[in-house]
Amino acid sequence: MTDCPDGLVRDLLPEYAHGVLEADDAARVTAHLADCAMCREELALLGQVRAALEKGAPVIDVAAIVRALPAAPAAQPSQRRPEAQRAARGWVSRHTWHYAAAAGLVLAVGSGIVWRRGAVDPTVRLADSSHVRAAAESTAPQAAGAEEDGIMFGGGLSDLSVNDLQALLGQMDSVRTLPSVDPESMTPVIAMTEGGKTL
Amino acid sequence: MSELHRDADLPTDVALIARWQRGDQRAASELVGRHAQALSRFAAAQGVREGVDELVQDTFVRAFNSLATFRADSSLRTWLFTILKRLLLDRQRAERRQRNRVELEEDHAVQEFNALDGLVADEAMQRVRDAVARLSPMQREVFALRVTEGLPYTEIATMVNSTEGACRVHYHNAMRAVKEYLSND
Repeated sequence: MTDCPDGLVRDLLPEYAHGVLEADDAARVTAHLADCAMCREELALLGQVRAALEKGAPVIDVAAIVRALPAAPAAQPSQRRPEAQRAARGWVSRHTWHYAAAAGLVLAVGSGIVWRRGAVDPTVRLADSSHVRAAAESTAPQAAGAEEDGIMFGGGLSDLSVNDLQALLGQMDSVRTLPSVDPESMTPVIAMTEGGKTL
Repeated sequence: MSELHRDADLPTDVALIARWQRGDQRAASELVGRHAQALSRFAAAQGVREGVDELVQDTFVRAFNSLATFRADSSLRTWLFTILKRLLLDRQRAERRQRNRVELEEDHAVQEFNALDGLVADEAMQRVRDAVARLSPMQREVFALRVTEGLPYTEIATMVNSTEGACRVHYHNAMRAVKEYLSND
């Protein structure tokens, strides 16, 4: 099978076979085909190839595909509007720190607080009960002498008597600043002492 | 050129997409019905024999999940073919890995094509398909899109990520190769 030298017409044959050419192009190809056996052969071959490839293609179950598709957007259950979602996200992010701070404070109070001022190492601000006990044991002589400057307790609030609680409240009232709610500054700073020296 | 351009009375793909986005599920059926068989033909022309329906379904599911990002500067059919081609490549890569085989050579492709082609009873059709199977992957894609779908080179170039001129060359080389194979057989 030889090729027709009219490359323009040959180029149009597939679209001609599909009937998608503009009217003037289709008329041109039709006129050419009347006189060109090579292009008629090529057109016939295109038909054979198309038939062979189409026969090898399975018929697709359209309904099955449609069932697998996501629901149309407007048909989906009503969703929160984007503005509402943004507002909710903003509310959560604003209040997250508040919740974290409150939780941290409760945890700290529940496990024991040490307020030390004056002669006691000022780096000891907030610690859990085990650290408090360790610090208290190692600094017992100093702590005894420093009772007038501050208050110290270990364990839970339930361990304190009414008088101790009142004294604690009085001391807390005199504290100029409260611990920051910034998580970093709430990290317990533990100062261990031994023989009256801060390690 | 897709069928929607052949009948001015039919709604365009873009109009159907808009209807689906407003909640009209029938528009989805119409879109799938309009393009599914063309995708199947293309997959089959590339030598896919098993799981063509799954491949076509995955193409539509992926397309409908991303319809919000579809830009009407290319036709929906072009976009669908592009998705199908990507899925086809992914599947071929996965199959290669699974079989622990090296890069699929053209000879291997021909063997697979032939081995699975027993269903085609007609000998003449079988010969034509053998001829197509021997084309290079790029020639086969361009040739199939041109012959079975009647697509213009501009659309094919977008689908195969090439140029219009290169696609024209691929098509004519493919046609020559098919003719030679059939005349020598």
